[in-house]
Amino acid sequence: MKTPDIFGYSFSAIKLRKLRAGLTMLGVIIGIAAIVALLSITQGLQASITDQLNQGLSANSLIIMPGGDTSGQEGLSINVGSGADSSGFNLYLSDTAEIENLSPDIDSALAIIQRSGYVASGNINRRVTIYGVDFATYAQVYSTFSAVTGTIPTNPQENTIILGSRIADPGRNGTQIITIGDNMNVLWLNATTRPPMNETYAAQVSGVLGTVGGFGIGGPSDTGVYIPLSTAESFFGTDTCDMIIVTLTNSDKATVDSVTNLIQEHFAGQVAVISPDALQSVLESIFSTIQLFLGGIAAISLLVAGVGIMNIMIVSLIERTREIGILKALGMKNRTVLAIFLGESVIIGLMGALIGIIGGWVLANVTATVLASGIFGGGNFALTPVLTPTVFLGALGFGVGVSVIFALYPAWRASKLKPVDALRYA
Amino acid sequence: MSTIIEAIDLKKTYMLGKIPVEALRGVNLKVDTGDFISILGPSGSGKSTMLNLLGALDKPTSGTLLIDGVDISKLGDNQLSELRLKIGFVFQFFNLIPRLTAKANVELAMSIANMNRTEHNKRTLELLETVGLKDRINHKPAELSGGQQQRVAIARALANNPKFLLLDEPTGNVDSKTAKEVMTLIHTLNKENGVSIIMVTHDQKLANEARRTVQMFDGEIQSDTVN
Repeated sequence: MKTPDIFGYSFSAIKLRKLRAGLTMLGVIIGIAAIVALLSITQGLQASITDQLNQGLSANSLIIMPGGDTSGQEGLSINVGSGADSSGFNLYLSDTAEIENLSPDIDSALAIIQRSGYVASGNINRRVTIYGVDFATYAQVYSTFSAVTGTIPTNPQENTIILGSRIADPGRNGTQIITIGDNMNVLWLNATTRPPMNETYAAQVSGVLGTVGGFGIGGPSDTGVYIPLSTAESFFGTDTCDMIIVTLTNSDKATVDSVTNLIQEHFAGQVAVISPDALQSVLESIFSTIQLFLGGIAAISLLVAGVGIMNIMIVSLIERTREIGILKALGMKNRTVLAIFLGESVIIGLMGALIGIIGGWVLANVTATVLASGIFGGGNFALTPVLTPTVFLGALGFGVGVSVIFALYPAWRASKLKPVDALRYA
Repeated sequence: MSTIIEAIDLKKTYMLGKIPVEALRGVNLKVDTGDFISILGPSGSGKSTMLNLLGALDKPTSGTLLIDGVDISKLGDNQLSELRLKIGFVFQFFNLIPRLTAKANVELAMSIANMNRTEHNKRTLELLETVGLKDRINHKPAELSGGQQQRVAIARALANNPKFLLLDEPTGNVDSKTAKEVMTLIHTLNKENGVSIIMVTHDQKLANEARRTVQMFDGEIQSDTVN
């Protein structure tokens, strides 16, 4: 029997019991839709984070943080807010000058002090992250550190403060509740004193940043406020910093590697030096694990669908025993009977997978729209689901594969029926 | 005239639980091309077992059964399937595929034999015309009378130019008028088209319509007479 005739015959059997076939297919549709939705959202998220990371940190930058060398593939340990890791090692503000002298490939070194605190103005009282930075260098490293309202002075006053977009516009509706020139109190809880004390000072708003988005290490944040490094130094009473951003003269891998080694040597391996490349590969590794995990969960639902297919095929085999006997009496070979049953599973798997992929894609886009609308918080979360050819073909192959694998046993049983027994079946 | 079927000391034993039942006990039979024989016998005489063996649906326990010169006891599943392409089956309960039209039922047999697709249509129409059903080609079995269904079954049996037709109580499920029509068609196929026919029945009157009657009883051939 020729292949088109086999598929034609299989299709006629499916067409006869549309509801049953539809319900069987539904299992595949749900499984594949779940896989496609989860993977395309995860891949979209990865693309979005990578994109923001690239925007936030140029390829010729390195981030130095206290802690052992974890810049490789094994993972990252990021300690911010204390200026020290658990071993008690500190990065000092004065280290920037030493780092700049380490290599001619180093263009600049920028220290960042970072603390949790509050800003208050009138009725407004918001929890924020306070960054102490050198405004001019910071703006050179991060292009997103630019004001949409007001200015970022190169030589700021001691009380100058720059606000992240959501501090000035918490409703994210374009209505700024703080205007340039407003005074606001900056507050943090100094836990180094006994008892801990609230420290405060009055700052004057000089500029408001544009919307940055959700991600980036050390880079400007929508929920951060920025004060001059010298002010942070005295306000927080510290001469340590939480991270140092090193800008290189070029982004060649050799330069990145040699400077990384120089820095490691300088600090005797007590710092983590993170390059955007390393960060990206760590992110890729994390997302691969997430994808595998989520895809695996969704795949379980497809396996359940496979059991459903097997069940239905066995019922179908019993119902069609006599038909199989007739086909064999007409001269049909065992392998053709096998092919007819597998053909039915291929059709169910293929149709289910295609509908599932479309459904999953729609679901992913709806989810992305809902997330972007900010209903669940975390606004400005631009996420575009990504459906790669690999996911598309993988889902298609998996849908058909599961259907065929679970149909193998019933199809084999059908093929092995003895015609004389099958014809006797009432 | 060449021999199309030759059974030599054919035996078939079934196991009924743990008890062996001898359905055929050393049958010898020879059928020539163009012959029309009936195998007659009461229930349990072994005629259905004989039909299954002659149709290559089953294999004998011992003895030799040559169909078109091939000993079926030596064949595997695939070779038996290929041999069945040379045999035209007509069953008592028609055994048409319910979801397929009369035309599709006939074409199915041709598809199984890998007959050229372009020939399907022409030959199907010819066959359905031969059995007098040219105007019912697109009807499904449920939309046809018993007699019409049996005619479709005969057309299907003839689809691949079989060496012989194997009929199992061909009129057992139709009224007497239709039975007469079916038998007339069978006679025509035998006389005019030269199709060899083996008919299994328990009806003496029907058996007498064949040129030769083989009477079976208790798994043995009791008589083999020319009518």
